Amino acid sequence: MTISQSTRFDPEIRRIEQEIVGFFAEKASEYTGRHPIVSTIMAYFYIRRSLTQQDLKNLTGFSAGAISKAVRQLVDINMITREVIPGTHMHIYRMETLPFRSPSYFLQTTQALEKRRKELKEMKETLDAYSEDMRCLEGYQRVYGVVTQLLGLIISVPRFMALIEEELNAFLKQGSN
Amino acid sequence: MKSSETTLGEERLRSIERKLVEIVANFGYLKGRSTKTSQVMAYIYIRQEVTQQQLRELTGYSLGTISAALQDLEALGVVSKHSSLGSRSYIYRLAGPLSQVLSQSMTGFQEYLTQINDFLKEIEVKLDNPSLSKKQGYSHLKSFLDEMNVLIPAYRHILQKFQATRLDSSHKQAGATGDN
Repeated sequence: MTISQSTRFDPEIRRIEQEIVGFFAEKASEYTGRHPIVSTIMAYFYIRRSLTQQDLKNLTGFSAGAISKAVRQLVDINMITREVIPGTHMHIYRMETLPFRSPSYFLQTTQALEKRRKELKEMKETLDAYSEDMRCLEGYQRVYGVVTQLLGLIISVPRFMALIEEELNAFLKQGSN
Repeated sequence: MKSSETTLGEERLRSIERKLVEIVANFGYLKGRSTKTSQVMAYIYIRQEVTQQQLRELTGYSLGTISAALQDLEALGVVSKHSSLGSRSYIYRLAGPLSQVLSQSMTGFQEYLTQINDFLKEIEVKLDNPSLSKKQGYSHLKSFLDEMNVLIPAYRHILQKFQATRLDSSHKQAGATGDN
């Protein structure tokens, strides 16, 4: 099987790789609050691009459970994709592009955000419809404020991300000319 | 009759709050934070002020888990700890208004970018050794560095541009206040 071959780097190269992964594991957690196991696995994807859970286990020494949880989270946030390796029951995970290349990955898919927007809108409608009953309850104003604030954010954040992505593409295009 | 209506209203409000926690916690999960840290953050944002004991009752997590999550959130600068009069337990709040917490993550990103840049320059020097270029794995590291070398200047450019816009709008605001 060619899978484990992908984890075999020259020892000297491997040391440099470990240094890179260590840096991202520490700094990404420090700056974004990302879980260190997730940051470590992400950094391996920056470099290796496609890996199996077994590869990740060999590289990181993390438990199978921790790896399975982290890759699930990375798939959920569209950071990596998952495919079955033909003729096996195993999966190969791929990072098509570096997350830095497409900042809107943060936002998962627009469908998921749209679902959230609808949910928040329904909450606001319920809060409005039953305001007579609920207005005096402890926490009503607070919950109402949060719902309104999130509705505003869910509309403006994707716009902001799209703007960044547009700028990024324009800059990169200019550079390649 | 009246009391049962109140209970219904209360139940409705609690159920909305629970759903809200789920949504906010999911945003944390999307950032790659742990489920537990994301839940703690969500309650602080929604409740505005909470003690460790309240967080324990709300989330069902152990005090150890909660205390670790709070430490992480404090280190990130998104949550701050305050002592409360007449009580030994601390109160936790968002470190500032949401807009401030969000723009702080932008400043944080800029710092992060500078650190990545400096670090990768060191790696580039190490890798710039003819004996390494034929070795297994070299091309993987090299293409990562090459890609980052294109992306980092692009982000710097964007951040500068956004900062200029922000400065510009705050100058305008200051100007408008000055006129009054």
